[in-house]
Amino acid sequence: MRSWVKMIKDLTIRPKGEKQIRKSPSYSFDEELKKPLSGETIKEILSKSSDVVFREFFLQGKERIPCILAAVDGMVDKNLLDQFILKPLMVDLAGHPELAQVTLLNVVDKTLQSLLPGLEIKKISKMGEAVDAILSGDSVIFFGNLTEAIVIGARGWANRGVAEPITESIVKGPREGFSETLRTNTSLLRRKIKHPSLRIISLKLGEMTNTDLVVTYIEKIASPDIVSEVLRRLGSIKMDGMLGNGYIEEMIEDNPYSPFPQISFTERPDVLAGKLLEGKVGIICDGTPIVLVVPAVLTQFLNVNEDYYQRAMVAVLSRFVRYLGAFVAIVAPSVYIAVTTFHQEIIPTDLLMSISAGRQGVPFPALLEALTMTVTLEILQEAGLRLPKPIGQTIGIVGALIIGEAAVTAGLVSPLMVIIIGLTAVASYAIPTFDLSLAVRLMRFPLMILAGVLGFFGVALGLYAILIHLLSLRSFGVPYLSPIAPLRIRALLQDTFVRAPWWALKRRPQLMDVEEPRPNGKG
Amino acid sequence: MERISPHQFMTLSAAVLLGTTFLPVASIVTGVGGRDGWMSVLPGFAVGIPYGLMVFSLLEQYPRKNLLQISETLFGKWIGKSIGIIYILITGYLGGLLLGQVGDIYQASVMPLTPVWVFYLGGFLLVFYLVRSRIEVFARFSEVVFPLIVIALILNTGLSIPRIEQGELIPILSEGFKPIVLGALKVTPFVMTYMLFLAGIIAFLPTGKQELGQLKTGLWRVIFLVGILDTLVVLMQILVFGPAETIRVVYGLLVLGKMVEVSRTVAGVESIFLGIWLGAAVMKIASLFFAAIWGLETVFGLNGLKWRLAMGVAFVGIALKFTRGPSLILEIGLLDDYLIMPFVSVWILALWGVARWKKSAGI
Repeated sequence: MRSWVKMIKDLTIRPKGEKQIRKSPSYSFDEELKKPLSGETIKEILSKSSDVVFREFFLQGKERIPCILAAVDGMVDKNLLDQFILKPLMVDLAGHPELAQVTLLNVVDKTLQSLLPGLEIKKISKMGEAVDAILSGDSVIFFGNLTEAIVIGARGWANRGVAEPITESIVKGPREGFSETLRTNTSLLRRKIKHPSLRIISLKLGEMTNTDLVVTYIEKIASPDIVSEVLRRLGSIKMDGMLGNGYIEEMIEDNPYSPFPQISFTERPDVLAGKLLEGKVGIICDGTPIVLVVPAVLTQFLNVNEDYYQRAMVAVLSRFVRYLGAFVAIVAPSVYIAVTTFHQEIIPTDLLMSISAGRQGVPFPALLEALTMTVTLEILQEAGLRLPKPIGQTIGIVGALIIGEAAVTAGLVSPLMVIIIGLTAVASYAIPTFDLSLAVRLMRFPLMILAGVLGFFGVALGLYAILIHLLSLRSFGVPYLSPIAPLRIRALLQDTFVRAPWWALKRRPQLMDVEEPRPNGKG
Repeated sequence: MERISPHQFMTLSAAVLLGTTFLPVASIVTGVGGRDGWMSVLPGFAVGIPYGLMVFSLLEQYPRKNLLQISETLFGKWIGKSIGIIYILITGYLGGLLLGQVGDIYQASVMPLTPVWVFYLGGFLLVFYLVRSRIEVFARFSEVVFPLIVIALILNTGLSIPRIEQGELIPILSEGFKPIVLGALKVTPFVMTYMLFLAGIIAFLPTGKQELGQLKTGLWRVIFLVGILDTLVVLMQILVFGPAETIRVVYGLLVLGKMVEVSRTVAGVESIFLGIWLGAAVMKIASLFFAAIWGLETVFGLNGLKWRLAMGVAFVGIALKFTRGPSLILEIGLLDDYLIMPFVSVWILALWGVARWKKSAGI
């Protein structure tokens, strides 16, 4: 019994403080990593992996120095290594006066100072650093039995390049999106913010995956408290594998039991740059084009980057439609159930007659009818999402048109219910963020049940409970419903439900302790 | 310790003060003031200004302390604790009765077939969730819900304009000023109930000079805003129903909501209006729940979830036990008139007076 309780506790309660997830097993080479650095030891550790290649050669200086170049095949730019590392050392510099002075004692310093021209070259002296560099895609040159080596940054692997993100497509605005390569992503960001105050702090997470990660923010704009909190939370994660943003998200968010997203994400450099300029902090993880942005507030999940590229009035209309869509998506089925089950007095007689006629012959109560239709819709959505695009579209058409039509003809559901569920589905697509859309879909079910049991009293109970939950949420210390509550009128009128023209956006959003005015009303 | 801003204090105060008053206020003031009853609402609420200023003066003198703690400091341990016990009993009992009112109104107006305990339980769960989320969340809740209540009130009264019967207000002041004074006396207990909450929440308010100024301005605004809103509600009911019917229909605003029809599309918005009213009622009950648990903490040092649950059981127990309908309204009226008003008016005045005397005497 106790073990069951412990298991349930382990599965439901997130540990406080340091989060130890799936500890890595200890390996025999853990001890070897503590040994002095040498090419032979590296070969012993890594030679069992066929993708690690060792190129042995001699450097003809004052004395003949045996060298080993170690790299992972497929992760290095072979052309660069051949042309700018191996060729100069083995062929071009033969007989050069500088090379003639090289001995085993000074080979590392001489190579760094005058033999190799590369930008990313550094000296290392620990075995762990060497292994880490090789497995991360760098190349390492070992010299004889010397306990120092040279790391050469010559990474190069196949990537899909900079393409337009599918999840954040826009009509008017830049088309570039992040890719799976960390340095490509930081360079895309750097191209947007060419200012020395842009900070990019590197970290590594995952004991086995050694995933590279950067935390980025703009100094003097981002709150130092939030930056240190982000670094603290990331630092407290101890796990063996870190394969994407989802891992980090669940480990660092404030309330892991809430269905509402508390960390926003983007695939677009322009969006990330915009968020950083608002004082937020970005977390870029190697191997994923998704960049996490903290802190996040509810309203920003309903605003999209295109709002800032469109004219202010158009953006205001778009936002109004999105907010209305979100509201309809969450309450439409429950309001229908409450009205048809408990509060017919709210509908004028003519309309009531029409609704009653539509429901005539339907054998199920409105609650069951709505639940069945909503579950069917969820199944169709889930089925369509994972299938190849053409089949997914077919499933959508079959589901929406044929099953809906057949259900009405068979008298299983009323036509109005099909309209309500269809409207709900369309409205939920107006929510631009997938995470928030999922939360809304999830909230719909308890609201429908409350409406079926308690009418508008139940709907009000449910909505107030959701509101209290939202009000109690925080994202890295920032209240989730800010700037609505706590009220920040300027932020509310500037860039929340409406989007003021750029010339009126004189201050940064007051979600955090950032009061610095924007120069020239921009930024 | 948690803190709330002057703006949050303002919306929270307005929400708690308006609370459940806007439903019965018309019947109450018209009952004593007749067709001139609407004129007594604002003066009745205005009594809150001097009392509020007295509380702020105490806050300035004893920062981060609630009035129960200040009472113990000024009156001594035993008198202070006795006041605290009365405070807990009053807030707990009134909170329970108001929870009972939630069930009573819902069952009587829109859902007669649903068992009344369901409304008590639903209302209590919301209140408890709010209290568990602490005072900051409560303040933010008021920031979101109070504007909705105001909009709902204005819409409900505004949509009733076509049903106004001309001449219902005339003659004005035919009975002189006496009905207005009597009506104001009936409104004053609403303010004193708010003072019970203010007595506890001052420990969470900022005490800087600038903030105190903002709090005082906020109090003025709250009193006038709520006073004007309630005046509007009373005025509209007298204009639509006439004085006699306004007295008879205890929850006249719901009847107004029932009569609304918009372009043959929406009719009888009573049930929607009740949804908004539920938010107001939850805030009022939560304010009393907060006051009761602050009392428990201060007087007996009882803190934590189990004591909150115990207080919750007491709230639901009072709601379940008490008879409903007109006797519930009567009970709330008796509690307001003969316990809350004398207790609070004397307590705060005495506290302020003793504090001033001690300060001037240098004790």
